[in-house]
Amino acid sequence: MRPGFSPRGDRGGRGGGRGRGGFGDRGGFGGRGGFRGGRGGFRSPDGGGFRGRGGGGRGTPRGRGGRGGGRGGFGGGKKVLIEPHRHEGVFICRGKEDALVTKNMVVGESVYGEKRISVEEGETKIEYRAWNPFRSKLAAAILGGVDQIHIKPGTKVMYLGAASGTTVSHVSDIVGPEGLVYAVEFSHRSGRDLLNVAKKRTNIIPIIEDARHPHKYRMLVGMVDVIFADVAQPDQTRIVALNAHNFLKNGGHFVISIKANCIDSTAAPEAVFASEVKKMSVENMKPQEQLTLEPYERDHAVVVGIYRPPPKQKK
Amino acid sequence: MAAQKSVPSDLYKCVYSFLLENKFTKVAQQFMKQTKVNPQDQNEESLVNIYNFWVKSPEAKKRKAPVNAEATNGPSAKKAKTSPESSSSEESSSEDEKAAAAKPTKAAPAAKTVPAKAKAASSSSEDSSDSEEEKAPPKPAAKAPVKQPPAAAAGSTRKKDSSSSSEESDSEDEQPAKAPAPKPKAGAATTPKAAVPTKGAAQKKQESSSSEDSSSDSEDEKSTKAPVKPAPVKKAAAPTPAAAESSSEESSSEDEAPASKKPKAGVYSAVPPPASIQKAPAAPAASKAKDSDSSDSSDDSSDEDEKKAAAKPAPVKATKAKPAVSKPAAKKQESSSESSDSSSDEEEKKPAAKVTPAKGAPVKPAPAKAAPAKEDSDEDSSSSEEEEVKKPAAKVTPAKAMPAKTTPAKKDESSSSDSESSSEDEAPAKPKTAAPAPAAAASKVPAKAAETSSDSDDSSEDEEEPVKAKPAAKTVTPASKSAAPVAKPAAKPAAKPAAAAESSSDSDSSSEDEEPAKVAKTATPASKPATPAAKTAAKTAAKPAAAAESSSDSDSSSEDEEPVKAKATAAKPATPASEPATPAAKPAAKPAAAAESSSDSDSSSEDEEPVKAKAKATAAKPATPASKPATPAAKTAAAAESSSDSDSSSEDEEPAKAKATAAKPATPASKPVTPAAKPATAAESSSESDSSSEDEEPVKAKPAVAKAATPASKSATPAGKTAAADSSSESSSDDEEEPVKAKPTAAAAKPATPASKPVSSAAAESSSDSDSSDSEDEPPKPAVKKQAPAAAKKPAAANATKAPADSSDDSSSDEEEPKKAAPPSKPAAAASSKKAEESSSDSSDSSDSETETTPAKPVVTNGKTATPKTATTAVKAAAKPAESSSSDSSSEEEEEANKSTVKPATPAKTTPAAKPKESSSSSSDSSSDEEEAPRKAATAPTTPTANSTNGKRKRDEESSESEEEEEMEVKTPKNKKAPTTPQTFPKANKKSTNVPFRRIVEEKVDVDPRLADNSFDAKLGANGDWGQKANDVLRFTKGKSFRHEKTKKKRGSYRGGAISTTINSIKFDSD
Repeated sequence: MRPGFSPRGDRGGRGGGRGRGGFGDRGGFGGRGGFRGGRGGFRSPDGGGFRGRGGGGRGTPRGRGGRGGGRGGFGGGKKVLIEPHRHEGVFICRGKEDALVTKNMVVGESVYGEKRISVEEGETKIEYRAWNPFRSKLAAAILGGVDQIHIKPGTKVMYLGAASGTTVSHVSDIVGPEGLVYAVEFSHRSGRDLLNVAKKRTNIIPIIEDARHPHKYRMLVGMVDVIFADVAQPDQTRIVALNAHNFLKNGGHFVISIKANCIDSTAAPEAVFASEVKKMSVENMKPQEQLTLEPYERDHAVVVGIYRPPPKQKK
Repeated sequence: MAAQKSVPSDLYKCVYSFLLENKFTKVAQQFMKQTKVNPQDQNEESLVNIYNFWVKSPEAKKRKAPVNAEATNGPSAKKAKTSPESSSSEESSSEDEKAAAAKPTKAAPAAKTVPAKAKAASSSSEDSSDSEEEKAPPKPAAKAPVKQPPAAAAGSTRKKDSSSSSEESDSEDEQPAKAPAPKPKAGAATTPKAAVPTKGAAQKKQESSSSEDSSSDSEDEKSTKAPVKPAPVKKAAAPTPAAAESSSEESSSEDEAPASKKPKAGVYSAVPPPASIQKAPAAPAASKAKDSDSSDSSDDSSDEDEKKAAAKPAPVKATKAKPAVSKPAAKKQESSSESSDSSSDEEEKKPAAKVTPAKGAPVKPAPAKAAPAKEDSDEDSSSSEEEEVKKPAAKVTPAKAMPAKTTPAKKDESSSSDSESSSEDEAPAKPKTAAPAPAAAASKVPAKAAETSSDSDDSSEDEEEPVKAKPAAKTVTPASKSAAPVAKPAAKPAAKPAAAAESSSDSDSSSEDEEPAKVAKTATPASKPATPAAKTAAKTAAKPAAAAESSSDSDSSSEDEEPVKAKATAAKPATPASEPATPAAKPAAKPAAAAESSSDSDSSSEDEEPVKAKAKATAAKPATPASKPATPAAKTAAAAESSSDSDSSSEDEEPAKAKATAAKPATPASKPVTPAAKPATAAESSSESDSSSEDEEPVKAKPAVAKAATPASKSATPAGKTAAADSSSESSSDDEEEPVKAKPTAAAAKPATPASKPVSSAAAESSSDSDSSDSEDEPPKPAVKKQAPAAAKKPAAANATKAPADSSDDSSSDEEEPKKAAPPSKPAAAASSKKAEESSSDSSDSSDSETETTPAKPVVTNGKTATPKTATTAVKAAAKPAESSSSDSSSEEEEEANKSTVKPATPAKTTPAAKPKESSSSSSDSSSDEEEAPRKAATAPTTPTANSTNGKRKRDEESSESEEEEEMEVKTPKNKKAPTTPQTFPKANKKSTNVPFRRIVEEKVDVDPRLADNSFDAKLGANGDWGQKANDVLRFTKGKSFRHEKTKKKRGSYRGGAISTTINSIKFDSD
């Protein structure tokens, strides 16, 4: 960056020159330092361990600035063990501290400064990206113990409220090359970051449109298996319903994150959720389960359901 | 004018035939030229019939409402309604016309109504007049060239919408103004009638001199007026208003006739003023040139005065009844005003009208002059003023005009002088109005101020005179008249004769007023109205106008304005002789007028002018001297802000005083003054001061005279109206009217009222009815105001009751109550601001109604209104009128409210602007129209009638001039407050809407017990969960700290331990 600026960049050997990391800061990402040079020392060829890649440009947050030696966040090193989660495509990094991870589709790239863990299994080197539940509601739902997310490798997902693409990148990892993620975001500012994410990930189709008007992007979207919504709008149930009517296959599923304060800040969250659940029922969206996102989010809940369930319900 | 070229040729024929029938040859020719219509008499009836049909049709109201904004439809609708209902107004017009016809003076007038009308008498005549007017409006397009069209349109509009009406009235006023010149002649003639004739002549002259349009209109109007008035007056004189009154209109006309001189004078004066005003505004040039306009107005007033003097005796009769009279007068005035309007309309229509026309002509001319905005405003104002004035006189209502006028009128009325004074006042008012118009154009407030000033002058004169006279009561009146005449224009006297025309207008109003007065108080009212027409009448008118704000204002305004203008003009001031001033004012007014918009505009314009000229007020005053009235008016106006103020200013001031006092009674001078001050508020102050002085005098006089009667009314009013007073003009008018009516009915004080009622009921009935209807209407409006329907109902009721008193009482009571209720509080506030709603509404209503009426039909309306009243009285069509009026009034009120808000400026503006501005609160009419569209619908339709009616009623109510005045003042304030009215509504709404918005009503949501707790701890498997540590930290945080803590965790430093894959979600039953 700028010559004189070297917050912590000193240490990184590389850091340098890019104005802006891979993708802009995401909204609440406060402390992300910019470029911390690569931590040269840290990359462990042998496999375990996260590596901060300077190249990525985006410094990781700093919590622990330079972990000098090999001990990075998650037990760095060798002792890391990756095991699949109940939800296909999601993994758990077992180590000194467990972490939720997804298999990085774009090896060597960190989307928003998250930590990456590389594991070498035999000849192949597999890289995982840490998925922070405090930054992603889907991750929070998974950690909270949701039964089904209906998002798995090969599925086509419509993601409403993609924002900067933080979670979208993980969904992209989950669905893999066979799947598709239609990321709808109305904000151009956030959409810019989303586009940058999509550039690296071919299974993401960014749509910068208002989710209230699905007809505006109907030509870009095919039938989808799952709709994930994190739009935080008073009429979000209606928005989801509109998109479901247009793009969700019968028997498809929806995962909706509800922020009580966005719907009615004066009512009790529980009442708001119950009200939203009722609304869904009216829209041919049959809620199947609900889960609070505490403590990762406040007054949030995630509702998972099925759209136009087949006559014979699959109970 | 040309606006409706698209109109089917069929209508053109009808219109053409109609014009021909009405002897509007010039207009007809113009019309034919533009439309290339083949003259076919076939449709004459058809046009009228159409109109009637239209009016009768249920949709009419609705139409009107919508239309209100638009001159044509609204007017027609309103008119239609009016005509039917208020047919009284029409009747009055018809009567006027008849009178005119009768009067030979204008036999031509016959032109207007023409024979048929005259005969038809009231209803038919009115209808015809209305129809004519309406037609005129439509034609206007054709006529457009001529002022009439506009005026007519305006008139129609006014009637429908007050604003529109204002224009008409303006036109009328202008014509009257024009008439002034004639008046002088008339003046020469001396006797009211003579004057009238003279007026007619003057009008004719004016017409001739004035543009054809104006002239035609003016002439027609004049002729009409002249005829009507003369006849009425004479009749009244002879038969006595009372007797004649049987048909209110007739009575009015008769009254006028009886009062003939006075009434007529009053009426004429009233009309004239408008005319003058209108003319002034409309044809500033003409008016100016005419000065005569102003002079005319003054002349008219003078004529009126003279007439009054002569008539007064008769008026005195009315006077006796003062209360009654006042009401009657008010009614009459209204009617007269209406009649005057109508007369003016008629005159206009009748262009040929001639003498009567003179008055009317003046007025109309003015309208014509005002032509567009100004005219409208002027007209409206004039009409409104006239109406208002009349009303004021009668009701007070007019709040503005009325107040002043009323007061004067009342007093005068009490003494016949009122009528004269009213007439004079009106005249002055008109001038003012005219001025206002200009001013209005400029700024309503100024105009108002000016108006007020001018009005005040007029009013002051009137008032003073009246007062003086009044004190003696009638005696005073005469004196006042004489004084007024003298005062006003010194010219007036002379002018009066000359005024004939004016006088005609005044006389019309006066005559009507007088007649009413004679008849009963009606006479008085009438006298006032008429007087107003005359001085009081003029003033009243002015006041009424003021009260009516627009209408009354217009009248008064016009007068006032003129004076103001005069002052402003400088030269005009000199006029003081009312006319000159007026003329000047008018001229100015006209210019201003445009600005002003209709009534308010008039008054406003006047006020504004005053303001502008400022001097105006002063000047006005100076001029006033004679013009004090004017000044007062001006003041009033100023105070009143809007016309009502102006008109009322004088009256209003009194009212104001009253208000100030709290009770309108208090009003008396000081308060009145205060009120005036209020009205004057800004410019007003100056004008007010003048007016106040005058007002005070009037007030005093009133107190004495009016008070006696009024007192009751006042007391009544005060009681209720104190608040009402707030509303001042309207409220006052209403209150007064109410009081009067109520009083009559109930109140002892009401004596006057009673008298008036009796009278009204008796011969006056019509007048009283009309008044009552008006008052009722107003009341309803006030109360309902907000609820046009209610108003309508009330009106209806009132109407139904012949008992105008009842109705009036009811309405009054209603109004009063409302006013009181709201007013009370408002009063205080209102005082300054006017009541808000009620008062404003009332005042606005009254003023509006008047104004509107005036405006709408201004010319016609006035006549009609008057007629309607009469008719109403007779028929109770009044009810409808009332309704319409009420609705109108409501609309007006709203407008007024708006105006009130804007008040001075606005008012004036409103009126003037009203149409134009409509939006702007200023023109009550416009506002009312716009705002009240719905109301208008109801109101509008009715409005015309209603307006007139309302105006009348209000006036009637107010009629207890003192009360009215006070009320008027109050009302005026109200008018000013008009906004308040609107506010009221909002408030009401607000009240209902205190419930916060909630998307989710927790009480209505069934929460699954399992989901009743969204916390982490309640979650399955919470213990030992990866997020438990975070929960331990975050659970105690909130808001910013939560965000902070969460942000720290986003960095990836969080360590939660082992991650479990257990299912912790809650499944819905379905699964």
